[in-house]
Amino acid sequence: MASADGGAYSYSLTVFSPSGKLVQIEHALAAVSQGTTSLGIKATNGIVIATEKKASSILIDDSMLDKVSVICPNIGIVYSGMGPDFRVLVTKARKSAQAYWKIYGEYPPTRVLTQEIATVMQQATQSGGVRPYGVSLLVAGWDINRGPSLYQVDPSGSFWAWKASAIGKNMTNAKTFLEKRYNDDISLEDAIHTALLTLKEGFEGQMTEKTIEIGVVTVPTAAELEEGKIGGETGRPRPTFRKLSEEEVRDYLSL
Amino acid sequence: MSIMQLNGGSVVAMVGKDCVGIATDMRLGNQALGISSEFQRVFPLTDRIYYGLPGLATDVATLRERFRYRVNMYTIKEEREIEPETFAHLVSSTLYEHRFGPYFVEPVIAGLSKTPSGGLKPFIAATDLIGCLNFAKDFVVAGTASEKLFGVAEGLWEPDLEPEDLFETISQTLMNAVDRDAYSGWGCTVHILTKDQVITRTLKARMD
Amino acid sequence: MECSFALTGKDYVIVAADTTAARSIVKMKIDEDKIKELSPHLLMAYSGEPGDTVNFAEYIERNIRLHHIRHLVPLSPSASAAWIRRALAQSLRSRNPYSVNLLLGGYDTAEDKPKLFWIDYLGTLSEVPFAAHGYGSYFALSLFDRYHNPEGTVEEGLATLKRCIDQVSKRLVVAPGKYKVKIVDKDGVREVEI
Repeated sequence: MASADGGAYSYSLTVFSPSGKLVQIEHALAAVSQGTTSLGIKATNGIVIATEKKASSILIDDSMLDKVSVICPNIGIVYSGMGPDFRVLVTKARKSAQAYWKIYGEYPPTRVLTQEIATVMQQATQSGGVRPYGVSLLVAGWDINRGPSLYQVDPSGSFWAWKASAIGKNMTNAKTFLEKRYNDDISLEDAIHTALLTLKEGFEGQMTEKTIEIGVVTVPTAAELEEGKIGGETGRPRPTFRKLSEEEVRDYLSL
Repeated sequence: MSIMQLNGGSVVAMVGKDCVGIATDMRLGNQALGISSEFQRVFPLTDRIYYGLPGLATDVATLRERFRYRVNMYTIKEEREIEPETFAHLVSSTLYEHRFGPYFVEPVIAGLSKTPSGGLKPFIAATDLIGCLNFAKDFVVAGTASEKLFGVAEGLWEPDLEPEDLFETISQTLMNAVDRDAYSGWGCTVHILTKDQVITRTLKARMD
Repeated sequence: MECSFALTGKDYVIVAADTTAARSIVKMKIDEDKIKELSPHLLMAYSGEPGDTVNFAEYIERNIRLHHIRHLVPLSPSASAAWIRRALAQSLRSRNPYSVNLLLGGYDTAEDKPKLFWIDYLGTLSEVPFAAHGYGSYFALSLFDRYHNPEGTVEEGLATLKRCIDQVSKRLVVAPGKYKVKIVDKDGVREVEI
């Protein structure tokens, strides 16, 4: 029973082992740590989340790969781990954000959305007939209440707020690197460069706009806020989260 | 006989200079028969939001319970108090949820909302019984005396009233309107919300 | 036709209801008790659609009793009122709603105060010093306006109630013949003859 593979407790069900472990969750974390590195850094005027995008074959059309996802105009997420599981979570998160909008006429604060995703992930550790999600997430967003915030969510459903964090392969090294590089008054531009430098540490192959994805949260200025949250003629809120285009990524890489 | 007029009652809200007012009568009736002169249809939601629910009295109580529940859950989940605009949307969506079997009330919301720079801005809104929002800049009215309230408010209201002047304006508006309405009256309550206090007064009104 | 009255006094509530059970134009019974004792300090007079009334009153009675057994303390008058109101409000939007009107009179032993609630079949709830249901209410409420004394003694309260009953008997074409009168105070519930 106490064998190295987790014995009778390691298959199909998330059941406590006599030592108090939920082995399925640990396996899910193992799946995450095999995934490509992702990281997030909170700056004074925004947040950057970035990830490495690796195609298993040169024949794959990598312009179709999406690892940084917009959930709603103020929140974006990135993942390490299993792509398909992430897509399911993105769909659920987007639906949750729209459901919130339908009730309150505004998009959810980062913390509330993170909690919502974390609940979905937790439920997969306690329900019958399912396995835990094989992903860790970095959720970056801005809201009027808490300003910019960066959260990490794990397969167990636990979540934390970070100033900077990394998940996936090489996360320990990346975090050590970030600890050295991080300071409390880093600007968004510097944070983007730090993010790229950190990714470079464990990068195999060439870092290009095709193999890197970046999303940024920009904190609105006081003047922009005073103007009101409605932007343009669409009546939609002005987005505070956006993905950088390939051109923008290329420019950052060339610096 | 309309179900909206069964129990009677009216509410009016007005914007002032850095303050808002919301006022209501206190009659609960059964058509022409008066049942109570102490009926509450305006409720505090937070320190800076009050809302009124003129209409069918059973739905007044049901919705009050519903909103209290929803806003308590919101406050706990979001770790902050709800803003007037957000609450207005919550009211609207709650009512529209029952589009084809509505609650027979026409809510009125008055509050002070936070501006990004940390100040407070007066906010009023009203909806119909299926949640169509009306964000007005001056005043909103609802209830069995709404036609009269529109007329009097149109004549008395002016921009940038100080709290005490707003109190006088909203009180006169309500009292003169409900005196011409058989289904409203029997005492009035007025709340004036300012940045550092809520002034609540009951008015001595005609009791016939 | 059915009539029920109730009024509060200094430290009591008097609840009165007629005792006729009618079906269409026929009196089936003239000594029906339409005031239930929900708990040691709570009375409920009910009227409305025959069949609905007893069924709903018993449903309320059993549930209030269940609460008493489960929690060892009776539900307070105001909490009972809120619960009953909710039951009616939910019933109102169901496939076949109860049409039952209620007067809920109780003595709150925690606050040491008499409480009276007017509740109709829609689930409208209002705490009042005096109340009435039925055609008698058009006479009784005016008399209460004139003669009710919230600080009055039991004798004074009963005298006011008598005025209402007499006036209804005199002026209402379809006036009921007999009434049952119950009083609730700090010592509990008792029935009185008038």
